Amino acid sequence: MGMRRVAIVGAGLTKFVRRAQETGKELAYEAAKMALDSCELTLEDVGCVSLGTAPDAFDGVHMKGEYLSDGAGGWRKPVMRPYVGGGTGVFNAIHGWFHVASGLFDICLVVAEEKMSSCYPHPAGAFLTIFDHTTEQPLKPNLIWIFALEMRRYMETYGISHRDIALVSVKNKKNAMDHPCAQIPQEITVDDVLNSEVLADPVHRLDISPTSDGAAALVLVAEHIAKKITDKPVWIDGVGWNVDTAYWATRDLCYPRYVEKAARMAYEMAGIKEPHKEIQVAEPYDPFDYKELHHMEGLLLCGKGEAPRLTAEGVTARDGNLPTCPSGGLLGVGNPIAASGVMKICEIFWQLRGEAGKRQVPGKPKVGLAQAWGDLMQVGTVIVMKV
Amino acid sequence: MGITEKIKRNIDMTSWKDKIPVNYIYTVGIAGEKFFREIKDNGKIVGTKCEKCEVTFVPPKIYCERCFSRLENYIDVGTKGTVHTFTICYENVDGTKKEEPTIIAMVKIDGTDGGLVHWLGEIDSKDVEIGMSVEAIFKAKEEREGSILDIKYFKPT
Repeated sequence: MGMRRVAIVGAGLTKFVRRAQETGKELAYEAAKMALDSCELTLEDVGCVSLGTAPDAFDGVHMKGEYLSDGAGGWRKPVMRPYVGGGTGVFNAIHGWFHVASGLFDICLVVAEEKMSSCYPHPAGAFLTIFDHTTEQPLKPNLIWIFALEMRRYMETYGISHRDIALVSVKNKKNAMDHPCAQIPQEITVDDVLNSEVLADPVHRLDISPTSDGAAALVLVAEHIAKKITDKPVWIDGVGWNVDTAYWATRDLCYPRYVEKAARMAYEMAGIKEPHKEIQVAEPYDPFDYKELHHMEGLLLCGKGEAPRLTAEGVTARDGNLPTCPSGGLLGVGNPIAASGVMKICEIFWQLRGEAGKRQVPGKPKVGLAQAWGDLMQVGTVIVMKV
Repeated sequence: MGITEKIKRNIDMTSWKDKIPVNYIYTVGIAGEKFFREIKDNGKIVGTKCEKCEVTFVPPKIYCERCFSRLENYIDVGTKGTVHTFTICYENVDGTKKEEPTIIAMVKIDGTDGGLVHWLGEIDSKDVEIGMSVEAIFKAKEEREGSILDIKYFKPT
């Protein structure tokens, strides 16, 4: 394809919290600095910066990319900001991959930041204006109720119960107990989820990830640099992304076709023929518990409607055959939108290098996947990583 | 109807009127906490210096944007500066006329690489010049609340 092979050689992550005292720039700096330090590179070595951050309305700075750039290491450097809503984190790494794969740069610093707490009384207010201003906004829609619509379609189509879905929340929040950056690590039960406050039926409080402040970063380098500076490069061997229509009411919400298309693109590039057998550890996007299941199906890690069964059987547990969200996911680690997608890539990076500590999945995995999702339930972004 | 038609007012067409009701509380951050606390408690302006790049940031930053070193050494940079550039503003944000024009200046803080944008006071607008020396005038201590408005304005020295 005429592209160069690209490796991840460093990763950095701040703790995810509900309210950080640090400004967005300061958060971006902490993650970027940690990523550079982890591979013993300096800012001087960095050729370009890819900066991912979700709607300007969260931080309340309406040119957030440029505003954050110096904290992200972009001072007098080529900086670009990709943006696809909640899918931004993984898309940001794909965007960084382009910069290196194309041959234009040898070293790209990929930084993602979100500071949702500036927006009050609740950052959900910033979502009011993502909807069509004429046909939807007058109805005062909010994110939770459109997800409630989608969750119900999913349950109805495949005969899935809320108890089946709640298992994901239980699993991920528990996995997060082993993550030093986690915002809400918890040991809870399915009944806790079902008995938590109903926000928009069937969505209850414990079905949802929190709002968060935090940042994450990666260092992407060309093959010849990777071989020089590390014995453990993690290769980005497949990337894929896809966007469905914003007329979300015209779609069948039970299945994310756009995620499937993004996954197929990434699998073809990475030479993956049977994803359910070849992917050994995965971080599907889990802002809501049902979304992990939805995305496992879209990613072709199982058949349609089968993900709840795999979860109930323990297949997706950290010591199962196909561990999903060993990090604790957005449900446990937290969800500073763009940063959470990069957090997932950090996790797969550490898992494939055998550096995930207490979170390490057994069996020395060689192939992993991270995925994010966003906009009006319409975008899928996928990365396949190998050692 | 359509793009070729001259339309004078949106309201002449079918439309949905709405607003974006979102509010923000911005934390000043780690460096900002030091900066504003010094202003509030001591009437001082502080910056951070990168010894490697020999750059002093005002307002302070926790990092040097040039080399990415962490900066933890806060230094008192005094309250005096130099007018780097200025403007005289006659209109309010909503386009209405101000009763009195305001003078906005970018003041480079002497001995540093940083500066503050603020009002100039105790000077007639026609007497303002680039390069003139100014100093920060603070509100009385009991009125200060840890904001940039704790500095009332800069005035000529």
